[in-house]
Amino acid sequence: MLKWRKNLYDTFMDSNLTQLWNTCLGVIESQLTKATFNTWFRNTGISKEEDGVIYIGVPNEFVREWLVTKYQKLILKTIVENLSHIRAIEFVISSLPTPTVSEKNLFSTASQTSALPLQNVFINRDDNLNPRYTFDRFVVGPFNELAYAAAQAIVKRPQHAFNPLFIYGASGMGKTHLIQAIGNEIKKDSPEKRVLYTTLEKFMNEYVISVQNNRQQIFQDKYRKFDILIIDDIQFIAGKEGTQNALFHIFNTLYEQNKHIILSSDKHPNHIIGLEDRLKTRFNAGMTLDIQEPDLESRLAIIKEKTYQTPYPIDAEVITYIASAVTGSIRELEGVLNMIAMHSEMKQKAIGLTDVKLLIKNSVKPKRTISIDSVVKTVSEYYNLDERVIYEKTRRKEIVRARQIIMFVLREDFNESYPSIGAKLGGKDHTTVIHSYEKIKSELSNDPHLMKELEDIRILFK
Amino acid sequence: MNITCTTEKLKNAVSLAERMTGKALTLPTLHAILLTASGNTIKVRATNLTLGIEIEIPATIVEEGTVLIKGEVLSSVCNHLSDASEVRLTLDNDNLTIQTPQHKTVIKCLPADEFPTLPTVEGEQIELKTSVLQEGIRSVYFCAAMTDIKPEIASIFIYSEENSLNFVATDSFRLAEKKIPVKGIAEISKILIPYKNIADILRVLDVAPDTVRITYSRNQIALFANGLYLTSRLIDGGFPQYQLIIPKEALTKVVMLKQELLNTLRLSTIFADKFFQVTFAIPEDKKSITISSKNSDVGSSVSTVDAAIEGNPIEVEFNLKYFLDVFQALSGDSVAVSFTQPNKPIVIQSVNDASFLYLLMPANR
Repeated sequence: MLKWRKNLYDTFMDSNLTQLWNTCLGVIESQLTKATFNTWFRNTGISKEEDGVIYIGVPNEFVREWLVTKYQKLILKTIVENLSHIRAIEFVISSLPTPTVSEKNLFSTASQTSALPLQNVFINRDDNLNPRYTFDRFVVGPFNELAYAAAQAIVKRPQHAFNPLFIYGASGMGKTHLIQAIGNEIKKDSPEKRVLYTTLEKFMNEYVISVQNNRQQIFQDKYRKFDILIIDDIQFIAGKEGTQNALFHIFNTLYEQNKHIILSSDKHPNHIIGLEDRLKTRFNAGMTLDIQEPDLESRLAIIKEKTYQTPYPIDAEVITYIASAVTGSIRELEGVLNMIAMHSEMKQKAIGLTDVKLLIKNSVKPKRTISIDSVVKTVSEYYNLDERVIYEKTRRKEIVRARQIIMFVLREDFNESYPSIGAKLGGKDHTTVIHSYEKIKSELSNDPHLMKELEDIRILFK
Repeated sequence: MNITCTTEKLKNAVSLAERMTGKALTLPTLHAILLTASGNTIKVRATNLTLGIEIEIPATIVEEGTVLIKGEVLSSVCNHLSDASEVRLTLDNDNLTIQTPQHKTVIKCLPADEFPTLPTVEGEQIELKTSVLQEGIRSVYFCAAMTDIKPEIASIFIYSEENSLNFVATDSFRLAEKKIPVKGIAEISKILIPYKNIADILRVLDVAPDTVRITYSRNQIALFANGLYLTSRLIDGGFPQYQLIIPKEALTKVVMLKQELLNTLRLSTIFADKFFQVTFAIPEDKKSITISSKNSDVGSSVSTVDAAIEGNPIEVEFNLKYFLDVFQALSGDSVAVSFTQPNKPIVIQSVNDASFLYLLMPANR
């Protein structure tokens, strides 16, 4: 058995397929000269089997061309002899893992010149995916496990499950990481699939340029040829009619052809104001999932994941402190960790709890406060009322209702005192406020409509 | 096979093809050149499995046929034929007879059915001016990394923007970018040509007509021109988003005469240490820059170059070789060097020509 056969594909192929391919190579080898065999069959392997088709990975087009012309029958015959249900073979070009050599060795002769900081900007231009976003580095916790499970299902069976997948959640919760990881993983499993990651902004810019140059057809065709289309920050489409229209047609074409569409947004599609209904219903047609703020345990896990390779390890108590102090988005957490890493590097040692406390004094977000006026404004807008009528002494049913909800939200979500709520809303007595609060609270438990409304309103405050 | 064609055409085709035979490969078939005579042309084909070429030349064909001959032998024989004459090729069993009025050689052939077909490429199609490709590639290819480990930078990156075709290469210490205006260019998101194939591709472009047709997919590119078909492997990978590391503004900008700077740098080379380190410094008066190098075994040199200087005084060290490389791609008489913070790349451009840009990292202290 030749040596290269052992080490190249073994790590990638499932062991049965490896064995099958080795058996085939044995048969083929006996019928060819050594040089011919080595030239055409070196660095080949079975990359997968799907629906009775064996996909054979070959290093380049030259080899593929010749294997197809010359050896296809022989290979198929040998495979069928071993695995009778195989109907066909396909050749795919797969880049082999490159030998790992540390960069230092690579450029040792020129060690006096520092390298351009290119590794930080490594993005694959073909699909815009950043290879750093993988599932290995994705921390799963209760806050995102549903979204993660859906992502995994898609990776296992792309173009089947959950189409489209719509992930929403506040900024910095890992939406981009998750959707890019889906793309990266699918590319790894099936390199022949055409994946594209883009942001809505890029999509829109391209659309605008295509309109200017009268090349809309080219634009549409470009997007229609992808198997997996991932669009980030879709909420920015709000109010952009032309872009919505373009996306609508692309969406339909891809959907009909069973191509997968993955979207992310900071809001549920129903709450994106200025989004046409026909798109809303389409976005909701597959699976719509949210990513919440990470809980304490997840934050701990995230910090550990993000710091496990730092030169100056961070103390367990410091990690716990950061996890409890820096709530909110993962991006903020990253910022704090970067700051700590920088300070450690400056001081050439790991920094302790007291230093950390000082450092992140400014990064810890003060508890959310909001003015009563803005609550009134948001809620009255939600109910389509003029905000002035809330302050007036009117007992029209719909206004009373809105006023009660405002009081409830102020008390429940923003911890305002009863008297100050009353004073602000047209000089009501604090008992009136208490009554309203209790009323809404009790109604909430048995009125699903009210619950839904309140949920919607709360999203508006995020 | 029994054919006649002009010696010159056969000679040129064979010499181009011979360079692309797979001399380093173990399979003897691939050291050879395939000649196929059919219709009224003869096709000359060779491949080394990263590049493949097929050249069509007109011929008078009495009897069609295919023959495989060792590339080295065929090209040596052709080189000794005089251009003016016609040459006649006849195949008799396993022997190819090459006959001109002066010479008659008989060459042993190889079994032709083992010679591979060249891949055809399905994908995007564009038409380009040959001169654009030549200029773009020549401006940047010296920067490509010569490594097998990082194929994505051991290559030349070609992509299009609105009305320009851009060529980029980097070995991660310096980077060259050339943007050539091409009106209404089709969208090219990425073509990564392996560095190793560049020399041969340039050689083909040298004999190509004014425009060439190109078809490319993720893994393969093909070039059609006037009866010539060239196909090369492409790198299926991502090129770094280098735009992000181009400094936006300069703290110090120095403009010098190109020839004067080049002469000074060449002088400094004599005294460069083993790391080819050279020091650039701007004195307080800001009228010139000093360039100095020192080698404990040879001696040292300090030169001044007149310069127009804007911004702060600086002192930076470079690898001289990397600096000298850029001169082959700079047009015009004067060169502008922009410095930002230490440990950030400097930018070298020619004055009045924004189409070429060279990024160079300073040396570590």
